[in-house]
Amino acid sequence: MLTVEICMGTSCHLMGAQDLISILESLPASQREQVEIKGVTCFKNCGKGPSVRINGELISNATPDRLLEIIQANI
Amino acid sequence: MTLHAEVSVAQLCKIGEELCGDKVQVTRTADSLIVVVSDGLGSGVKANILATLTTKIASSMLARGTELEDVVETITQTLPVCRERKIAYSTLQILRIDNMGHSTLVEFDCPRTFLCRTGHVLPFPVQSRIVGGKTVLIGQFELQENDWITLVSDGAIHAGIGGLLPLGLGWNGVASRLTEDVAKASDSLDLCNSLLDCCEGYYLGKPGDDTTVVAVKIRRPHRLNLMVGPPALPERDREVVQRFLSAPGAKVVSGGTTATLVSRIIEKPLKVSLDYHDQNIPPIAHLEGIDLVTEGVLTLNATADRLHTPKALRQSNRMDGASLIARMLINSDHIYIWAGGAVNPAHQNPLLPSTMNIKLQVLRRLRTQLELLGKVVHIEWV
Repeated sequence: MLTVEICMGTSCHLMGAQDLISILESLPASQREQVEIKGVTCFKNCGKGPSVRINGELISNATPDRLLEIIQANI
Repeated sequence: MTLHAEVSVAQLCKIGEELCGDKVQVTRTADSLIVVVSDGLGSGVKANILATLTTKIASSMLARGTELEDVVETITQTLPVCRERKIAYSTLQILRIDNMGHSTLVEFDCPRTFLCRTGHVLPFPVQSRIVGGKTVLIGQFELQENDWITLVSDGAIHAGIGGLLPLGLGWNGVASRLTEDVAKASDSLDLCNSLLDCCEGYYLGKPGDDTTVVAVKIRRPHRLNLMVGPPALPERDREVVQRFLSAPGAKVVSGGTTATLVSRIIEKPLKVSLDYHDQNIPPIAHLEGIDLVTEGVLTLNATADRLHTPKALRQSNRMDGASLIARMLINSDHIYIWAGGAVNPAHQNPLLPSTMNIKLQVLRRLRTQLELLGKVVHIEWV
């Protein structure tokens, strides 16, 4: 199981955190069931949002494409 | 004990008229509620202008602290008298209730006000007095929790006249209807609507006169505490959070950092909820002991927008953070905002719209909207 924590703070929200959730929700069922999505209030990385933490590793300036790449590489 | 007077208004226009000739002005000052009702003689534009003039003069004088008798005297002396009918152009009804439940009523040429206590409906006790050469009824009464006061214009008393009911519903008819409705009404709006529906029914949907119902329910105030931002000094975090938690009323925490701070101090986990998706409003979170946890400025800014259209909000089923806070605020009377003075590094982000980056600005908007809705707002900078 891959844990993906997405920052839901003001800054990350404005920088597109919702798009990251949407892309994860639209993963094919076989992949979606291997990903656990969690919301986090703040990673204190506001200037480099949106921030995502995948299995403990913090990723700054995340984009949906980049997130998909990392997830597919890790599943 | 502090009491809150919850007030609602419902009106019908005379058939064929677009403007109501009855006017109701509700004003809240720091320590009292003032309701002024006026029924302009006739209907339509003329009646509306006269009634508006009367209510505006009365409520603005009262809000500035003028004595009731002086207000009545000013109105009775300035109201134009109809040349043919030799009576003043509009009626006047003033109800003032302070937050200890002490109420004062003035009636001039209007139907007697209804007082409901423990299921019994009776006329509000008054005495006749001559003010400015006119006979007015003035009374005072100590109200208690769960008392109701209902003011109506003569359109309600005359409902059904000449049609279903030869002499109309009458004062006793309205009183017996109120006795039934008060037992069932959940709030003042509910009571207003059911009495007005009854009048409209007797008029067979074609009101022969402008009809107004104002219902006032006396109850304990609903208090809500809204914490926005961590305290300016980190060493005060614990003290402020504990004070916030022990304050009476509902509790809302707005802002990720603030929520994390509260979660740390109460040692309970903060869980962001991804159950409801809204493109514009960040998700809410759950924290034991707190009624609602949301994101900060974006949500509060949208909350102020939602409060701008309370009717649309009531009808919508949106469950985003802003709609949830707005609904809670609408159901509260006294709102305590615990505004944290800490500078949020996220708000220094140059990509944020300029209207968003100042907490003060958002809180000011929120306060203005809430005060327009008759809420008592306290902002404490911590």
